[in-house]
Parts: sequence; structure tokens; C-alpha cells
Amino acid sequence: MNRLLLLLMLASLSLAENYTFLVNKYDKEMELEAEILSKIATASSKEPITLYIPDISPTEAKVYGRFFTLTPECRHATFVFINKATATAEASCDPSEKLFFTNNYRRLLADEKFFGAFFWAKSRPNIVFLQHRLLQHDITLPKTYSRYIEELNVQ
Amino acid sequence: MSSKFSFKNSLYLIALSIIVGAISAILLYGTLKLEEKIEAKMVEMSTSDVFYIVQNSAKAIASLLDQNENFITQIQQNPRLQEAIEEHLSVLLTANIKYAYLLYRDIRGTFRFLADASPPAEKALLNQKLDVTNPEWNALYEEKIPLTIRHDFLKELSISYLVPILQHNTEVALVLAIDFSIEKVQNINTIISFMKVALLVTMAIIVLFFFILIVQTVRYIIAKKTAYIDKLTDVYNRNYLQELQEFINLNDYALAVLDIDHFKKVNDTYGHHVGDAILKEVAAIILVNTRKKDDIVIRYGGEEFVILSKIKRNDQAAPLNIFERIFTSIQSHAFSISPTETIQVTVSMGVNLTPSQSRGFSDAFKLADIALYHAKHKGRNTIEIYEENKKSHKHSQLSIGEINAAIEEGRVVCYFQQIVHAPSGKVSHYEALLRIIDTNGAIITPSKILPAIKGTFVLRNITKRVLEICHRTLCEHPALHLNVNLNPQDITNDSILALLTQYAKEDNIAQRIGLEIIESEDIIHLPSAKENLLLLKNLGYTLFIDDFGTGYSNFVYLTQIQTDFIKIDGDIIKTIVKDKVSLAVVKSIVNFAKEANINVVAEYVSNEEIYEVVVSLGIEYAQGHYFSIPKSSPA
Repeated sequence: MNRLLLLLMLASLSLAENYTFLVNKYDKEMELEAEILSKIATASSKEPITLYIPDISPTEAKVYGRFFTLTPECRHATFVFINKATATAEASCDPSEKLFFTNNYRRLLADEKFFGAFFWAKSRPNIVFLQHRLLQHDITLPKTYSRYIEELNVQ
Repeated sequence: MSSKFSFKNSLYLIALSIIVGAISAILLYGTLKLEEKIEAKMVEMSTSDVFYIVQNSAKAIASLLDQNENFITQIQQNPRLQEAIEEHLSVLLTANIKYAYLLYRDIRGTFRFLADASPPAEKALLNQKLDVTNPEWNALYEEKIPLTIRHDFLKELSISYLVPILQHNTEVALVLAIDFSIEKVQNINTIISFMKVALLVTMAIIVLFFFILIVQTVRYIIAKKTAYIDKLTDVYNRNYLQELQEFINLNDYALAVLDIDHFKKVNDTYGHHVGDAILKEVAAIILVNTRKKDDIVIRYGGEEFVILSKIKRNDQAAPLNIFERIFTSIQSHAFSISPTETIQVTVSMGVNLTPSQSRGFSDAFKLADIALYHAKHKGRNTIEIYEENKKSHKHSQLSIGEINAAIEEGRVVCYFQQIVHAPSGKVSHYEALLRIIDTNGAIITPSKILPAIKGTFVLRNITKRVLEICHRTLCEHPALHLNVNLNPQDITNDSILALLTQYAKEDNIAQRIGLEIIESEDIIHLPSAKENLLLLKNLGYTLFIDDFGTGYSNFVYLTQIQTDFIKIDGDIIKTIVKDKVSLAVVKSIVNFAKEANINVVAEYVSNEEIYEVVVSLGIEYAQGHYFSIPKSSPA
């Protein structure tokens, strides 16, 4: 009997990974993104950062909440991160008063309100700041970020 | 329990666990290393063909470009060229090759896309930068040869393969890169993991098998040991003897067979439970008196035991003394038959001191058994030593067996030699000299007796016999003074001391006995010897230091033990007439003795000439053939 119990216990442990649906899966990739974004936001603004993410998911709220003060309304935010293709900022969100950041390179190029983007290119993390938009928003980044600053017409 | 198989199980199991653990650790380390090598080899095998294809693709792309114009500008300015390159790149994409793209390095050192075969959603734009963290990307520009980069920290990529495209065959202008998806390595790792699990399971089975084998071996040895032990007496049984006799080295052992005398009567009279108790006690006495590491005790059957005692180079007499100790210990032990009653039990022993002369154990055992038979035939309660040819030693030294037989048969006698008081010319003492009458009636002197029994209990027995003869002689001759020779080991022996103490209780016995002791290293260095000599002196015995002037002549020691006489060695006295050195030695001894108030006896005074010199030196006592030869009676 004892042997049977022991075997059952060993079998259960070996299959333990299958039971992780019982708990919320923690997203390590999201945590990395949040950490990088936190560094970028802190470097970009001297003001205390209050983050707004449109259509934020509970997991995102949990992960980003570890690095930022979150707000559910854009008007209370100082930093807006749009990380979903379909998401847009509310009309009340005045781009001149807030810093806009995205996770899409094409959106960065297309939309003037974004000063930079953090995205995955060829499965590698990439950061891009556009020089003229930094100037527009009067953002001065530390020298360590200079390698990520881009002119639009580069050769 | 003395045992050839004895061991501490727990200690062995700990050692065993350590060995198994160490073997497992080595095997595990080897497995990990093997896994690394297999993985590298499998990656190489599965990617080498792809690498060749990528290199060919790079050559094809280079062929599309004009060597005389800047490669980068050509592509940037010609969308059709870019499309053509991307067509080449798209050929490379497979289930395992996730990305294929063409890059250049700008003047700031940033890598930028020129072409990308990815689907539109993931496709990089022209001149879009690619952040690379691995310094090997830049090394490519130095080494100008294809290289592989492993990604240990990227979630979706496992390996990148970079091929430089040279312009004018000198400078790296472009980099063709392909990224393998993680599935590639995952597939390899799945195979390796399977192999590793299989290997580890095999190893675990081997280790487990090895462990079970050892445990079973240990259990077998324990079971075997149990089969060899006699449950009643806790000594080995006959099974062990059968096993042992196959490999025992007879050169190393003396063999004794011990039989409890009249054991059947004990059983019949007091019951088998008493018989069993006596057997247990006898076995316990044997074990107490044997050496745990060196001796083997076997219950041969019934009331018979076999004792194998190891012969050591530095103590040849040890086995015989052990046998005698067992014999006397049993003799003196009171065996309980009820809470209030005890009985005395004796044993007979047959000893074979030279089993190595036999062809095998069985033959050696038979000889010891013959000796046991003789011991029983002589009336039991004795030790009989087997001798091969009892009559072959007529003109050489006697054997232990012959001496033992002489003691038992009353053939040990004393001859007596006068010691004369020179000034008065009268006999003052007699020295009792050991003699054995052999089976043919010949008289054997100590030089042929003592060498064989030196260091054995037989010497002590012979001393006791001489003391008994002297005691009887003194009782028969009330005016007689007798000297008896004691060996150094006699002085420290309890039974000899007990006998002398017993004689001292009788009137006018100790006062008429002189104890002649040869001054030796043993005597000087044994504290108990000095104490015992003083005790004997206090009991009334007169102390003589024998053979003084040779060997250890320690004047200080003489004063410490308060000796009454010293007997100057005969070899010095013999040459006193012709040799001035001998004369000088005797003079100095005499002078010292006078100062220390010690009487001097000159031995070996064999003629008048020597006697005159002895007298002229003021020596008061003399002994030798000049006065008389040793006689069988002092009268």
C-alpha cells in the first residue's frame, strides 16, 4: 500500500507542470517589457510617472503595477503606452501634456505623438527614439540611450 | 567473538554508500559532458547542410550586385534588386529557419536591414535598425568568415548563422543572417533528453543492481557467519573448521584439542542444562584467554574444543602459554551448578606445536588428538604435547613434550653441590641443581633442558617442581641450607610467589632457602621484579645474585634489592690464576661487596690453585669440583 502511495505521489509530482492552470501564469516576457519601459519612462521625464495602458488586462495591471503607478484614465496619466494594435488613446488625452510610447515600429513612424517605441524585431528586443520628436517634447535622454536615437533619413 | 569474517556492518554500509555515491557522481558528470558533446554534434549535423546553402545564397546575392558600386546604395536605391534578394532569402525559410535577412552596418556601427524575407507583419523596413547585443556581430567584420551565434537568453531563437558578403573580396559590405527557431534545438534536446533519461535509468539500474549485489553479499556473509557459529557457546562450530581447513596456513598456528574431563558424568549427575552451562563457561574461559585477532576457537563437537593459536616470530612460546593459561583457568574456576553450589571441572588437552610438519589440517589434528588420547590415558587433567620421535633426542636438547612428560612422571630431580665457608672449611649451603632422568635412566643437565622451555609455562612448572623437592629435602634435613635457582620470569609469577609465601609460613624453611637469581635486563627493568625480591627477602629468604660479573653487572641495583650474596661467575673464576683482567675484576667485585656488606661466593673452584687465589682475595665462600661434584643427595 505504501509503495502504491509513493508511486502515485511520484507520478503526480512528475506531472505537476500540467496543473499550473490552477494558478495565474506569470508572464516573464511582460515583466521584462515593463522593466525596460520603466527605465525609459524614468529617463524621459523628470516628473513622477503615472502610466496609462489602454485596454489593460488584469495580468498587465499586475505586472506593470510592480514598476509604475497605474491609472485607468488617460487624463490622469503622464505616460501613455499603447501596446495593442487596435487600442487608441481617448480623445481627452492631450498628446502635448503626456509622453506617448508604443510597441510598434510602424506606428511610431506613422503617428507623430509617439516619441519612441520598444518592440520585438526578429525576436530581439529593440528600442527606437526619434530625434525630432524628442526635441518636440523637450526630452533629453541620458547618453546611454544615444545608440537608440534615430534620425529618420539615415545612411 | 574473534572472527575472520567479523566486520562492523554500519561502517561498511557507510563506506559502501560513499563509493556508490562517488560512482554515481562520476557517471552523472560523464553523462552531462556526453550530453554536451552529443548536442554539439547533433546541432552540427543538422545545420551543416543548411550552412552550405546559406553560403551559396550569399554568393548568389553577391552575384546580383555590381562590384564596382557600393552594395548598400545599390540595394537602397533599387527596390527591384531588394525584391530579388528577398526572393533568394525566402528560399531559405523553413519550419526551423524562422528569419532570413540582409543587413549592413552604418557609420555609427548600427546594423540596419536591407532586405527581409519575413511575412509582411514581421517584415523589417529598409534601413530599420536591429539592436544586437552580441559582440560577435562586429567580429564578423574583422574575421570575414561565417560564424554561428548561440542564443541562450532569447525566447524564440536558438542559433543565428551569419555569412559576410565581401565587396572587392576585401571588405565586408553586407551580412546575410538566418535565425533558427527554438524548435530546432528543442527537437535536438528532446532526443538528447530521451537519451539522457535512458542513460540515467540504465545507470540507476546498474547502481541499484550493484547495491543489491553488495547488500546481498553482505547478507550472505552474515548468514554464512551465523552458520559457522555454535549457538550454545558462541565460538565457531565444525562447519567453520571444514571451511577453514581449506585455506589455513599451518605454519602460522599451534593446534590444541581440549576435552572436558568426565563430562558425561556431569550431564548424568546434574542434568543437561548444567552440562550446557559448563560448556558455555568453558568456551567463555577459552575466549578470555585467547587473542581475539590471532586465535581461533572451535567447538568441535560435544565437549571437545579445537584451539588454533597463532605463532608469532617475536613470541614463539605464546601459543603454549595460552594453552596452559586456558588449562589452569578452567582448573581454578568454580562452575555453578545451582545458585549455591559449584563444582570443579578439569580438562585434558592434546597439543600439536608443529602442525606445519603435517601434510594437511586433518593430519595435524590427528596428532593433537593422539596427544589428547595420551593425556586421557594418563588419567586426564593434563596437557599432553605431541612429539614425532620421542627417542630421537637422546644426545640433543630435550623437547617440551619430553620435559613435560618428565615433570608428570616424576623424573625431575635435584642434585646438590656444596658451598664451602672458606675460613672454617665447613659446608655452609648446598645449591640444588636441576636434573632430569630420561626414559633410559641418563641424567640430563639444565643446558639441555632450559632452551626448549624458555618463555613457556613448562619452565615455571619445572621451577615449582624444584622448589617442592627443595622443600621436602629441607624438611628431611633440618640443619641444611639450600640454594635454588630462579629465572627472571619466576620472580614475577604469582604461582611461584604463592608457593614461596606458603613455605615462608612454615618454621625455619625460608631462613634456610637461598634464592639464586641471574641478574638480567628483565629483572632490572621490571618494577614488580624488584618489589617481589624485596618481599621475598622480608619473608626470610636469602638473596643470591648468580653469575655476577658477566652481562648486567649493576652495582647500584645490588644495593637496591639488598642482596645478601653475590656469586661471581664461574667463567671469571676459572681464569683467575692466569688472567690478570679476571683477577682485577674479581678484586673490584670483592672490594665493592665488602663496602656494601655483601657476601661473596666464588663458583667453579676446581683446583687448589684457584682456591688459594680465592682465599687470598678474602672471598669467604667457594663452590666447585675442588670440594665436591653435585650429588643426588646432600647427606
